[in-house]
Amino acid sequence: MNGANFVVHALKEQNVTQVFGYPGGAIMPLYDALYDGGVEHLLCRHEQGAAMAAIGYARATGKVGVCIATSGPGATNLITGLADALLDSIPIIAITGQVPTNLIGTDAFQEIDVFGLSLACTKHSFMVQSADQLGPIIEQAFEIATTGRPGPVLIDLPKDIQIGPSVAHTLAKLVHSNNYLDNRLIAQAKLMIESSNKPLLYVGGGVGMANAVGELRDFIEQTRIPSVCTLKAIGCIPHHSPYFMGMVGMHGSKASNLAIQECDLLIAIGARFDDRVTGKLDEFAPNAKVIHLDVDAAEIDKLRQVTLSMTDDLKQVLPAITIKPNITPWKKHIATMKAKHVSRYDHPGEPIFAPALLRQLAQSIPGDTVICSDVGQHQMWVAQHMFVDRPENHITSSGLGTMGFGIPAAVGAQVARPNDMVIAISGDGSFMMNVQELGTIKRKKLPIKILLIDNQRLGMVRQWQELFFNGRYSETILTDNPDFVTLASAFDIPGETIETKSQISQALQRLLTSEGPYLLHVSISEAENVWPLVPPGAPNDKMMESIE
Amino acid sequence: MKSLLIIEAKNSPEFLERLLRVCRHRGFTTTNINAETGNSQQTLHITITVVSERNISLLTKQIEKIIGVKQVATLRQEKNIKATA
Ligand SMILES: Cc1ncc(C[n+]2csc(CCOP(=O)(O)OP(=O)(O)O)c2C)c(N)n1
Ligand SMILES: [Mg+2]
Repeated sequence: MNGANFVVHALKEQNVTQVFGYPGGAIMPLYDALYDGGVEHLLCRHEQGAAMAAIGYARATGKVGVCIATSGPGATNLITGLADALLDSIPIIAITGQVPTNLIGTDAFQEIDVFGLSLACTKHSFMVQSADQLGPIIEQAFEIATTGRPGPVLIDLPKDIQIGPSVAHTLAKLVHSNNYLDNRLIAQAKLMIESSNKPLLYVGGGVGMANAVGELRDFIEQTRIPSVCTLKAIGCIPHHSPYFMGMVGMHGSKASNLAIQECDLLIAIGARFDDRVTGKLDEFAPNAKVIHLDVDAAEIDKLRQVTLSMTDDLKQVLPAITIKPNITPWKKHIATMKAKHVSRYDHPGEPIFAPALLRQLAQSIPGDTVICSDVGQHQMWVAQHMFVDRPENHITSSGLGTMGFGIPAAVGAQVARPNDMVIAISGDGSFMMNVQELGTIKRKKLPIKILLIDNQRLGMVRQWQELFFNGRYSETILTDNPDFVTLASAFDIPGETIETKSQISQALQRLLTSEGPYLLHVSISEAENVWPLVPPGAPNDKMMESIE
Repeated sequence: MKSLLIIEAKNSPEFLERLLRVCRHRGFTTTNINAETGNSQQTLHITITVVSERNISLLTKQIEKIIGVKQVATLRQEKNIKATA
C-alpha cells in the first residue's frame, strides 16, 4: 500500500464516505487511489467550491467534511473556504498535494508555502514529512477538527510520500474523560438565574456545534426564560416558542434588540459577542450581569467582562443550571414587545416583496428542508422571515460573510442528505461568485432548488451607500447581469423569471415540485432595504426602520 | 503595558511562527524573544516579552489554544522587565 492508498484507507477508518475536490499534478497519486478506493469523490468546478461543499456537507450532517486540492493554485483556492470554516467553527479537513519533499523550498512548479498560508485560517495544520507520520497526523487531524471548538484542519501532503510505501498505524482508542462540573459555579449560576427579574438567553452557534439543541430546548421549556439567537443559531429554538424573539443584532428583530438592552441577566450560550450582534459594545445589555457558557476559554472576557463563566460541555451544563425563575411581569412584557414588533408583509403594488415571498416559501416547504443562503440583503431576509426547525437546516456564512457560499454549500448539503429538499437562496451578486458550481449540480444531477433574488445590485452595499455614503453608488449597479435563466439552462437546469406578486404561488409550486434542479429567478426592486438596521457604532436600541 | 510570558510547547519547526502570528494578530508587539529546545529536543522553552494596551489574558488564552502548548505562565511587570534571554 502506498501513501496515497493509505490516506484513502485512513479516511474510511474515520467513517468518511464522501469527499469533494479537484485534481492536479501534486495530488495525482491520491486521485489514483480514489479511483477505486471506495470513497465517493465529487468533482467541484473550483477548489473554493469544494471547500464550501465540504462545509455544507459538515453543517447539514454534523460530520466532518473533507476537501482535496492540488498544490499551488489548487491549495490557494481553498483558503477562503478554510477561513469560512474557521470563523464558523466547522469541522472540515483539507488535504492538499505538495511538491516532493526534496523540492520544497526551491520554488518548484506549483510550489507555494501552503502550510505557511494555513496558519491564519485553520484551527491547526500539518505538513507530512515522512511516511510514518501519515497515520498519526490523519488521526490527530480528525480529533482536532471535531473536539473542543471545532474548526478546519489542513494536511499538506508531499507527492513523494503519496507514492512511497506507507507505514501501518492503529487508531488509538480515544478516551474522553467525563468532566465534573464545578458545583460552586452551578450553585452560583442558579442563584443568579433565580434572583434575576429580567433574564434573557442569548443563544449562539455553539449550541448546535455542541449537539446540545435538545438540552437547550429542555432548558427553555422548563425555565420559560425569554430568548434571542444569533444568525448561526437559527433553528436551535423552535420559532413558535412563546418567548423567543428571533435574531438579535444589526438586522435582528426590534423585540430582540430592545429585550437585550433591558435585561438584567444575560445568559450567553455558545455565543461570542460578535460586533454584528452587540452593536456598540459598551452599551450592549448595559444593565445585565452576564453568565457566559462557551467551550472556548478564549471567548470568556474577550469582549464583554462576565460575572460567571463555564467552559464545560453545554450538554452537561444546561441541565445542571436549570431552575425556573419567577418572572411573570418580564414574560408579559416580552410577549407584548414581540406582538408589537411583528414583521409586516403588506406591501403596495405588484412588484415582489422579498420578505413576503420568503415567508410564503417557508410555509410551503417540507419539514426537513435545508436552506443554504448566500450573503447580502437576501441572506438577512432569509434569517428574518424564514424559519427552520434545526440548525443543520439553516446553512449560511455567518462569521466570514462569504459571498458565493450558497450554491456550493447547497451542493454539499444535498449530497449529504439526498432525501431532503435543499434550497439555495442567492443574490445576483453572490450567485456569480461560484456560478461554476452549476456544473457540479449538473454532473451529479443534484435536485437543488435555486431561488435567485435579483435586485440588479450588490444590494447590501448599495443600502449602505444609500444610508451612509450620500447615495454615491460606487460599483454596486449590476444592470449588466447575464440572463440567469439562459445561463442555468446551459447546465441543464430549467427555470423561469417572475416579477409580480400574482406569479408567486404557481412559480413556487413549480420550484418545489420539480424533479431535478430548478432556478426560480425573482426580479425585485433595487430600492428595497433590510430593516431594522442598527447603524454602525450605535447601540442596539437605536435601530433605523426606514429611510428617515 | 509590558508582559513577560514563559511558554513550554512541543517542539515543531513552525511553532515560533504560530506563536508570533498569534501575538501580532491579537494586538501584541513582541519586543524580545528567546527559544531553546530542551536536551531531548522534544520541548521548546520560550520566554517572550510583549507590549500592548490590551489585557495580557486575551493573549495567553489564545496561546493556550495553539496545539502543542503545554504551559503558559505570565510574569507581569509593567515598567522594566528584564528578559531572561
Ligand atoms: C467574497 C465577498 N466579497 C465582497 C463582500 C461584500 N459584500 C457583502 S454583501 C454584498 C452584496 C451582495 O450582493 P447580492 O449577492 O446580489 O445580494 P443582495 O445584497 O443584493 O441581496 C457584498 C459585495 C462579501 N461579503 N464577500
Ligand atoms: Mg443583489
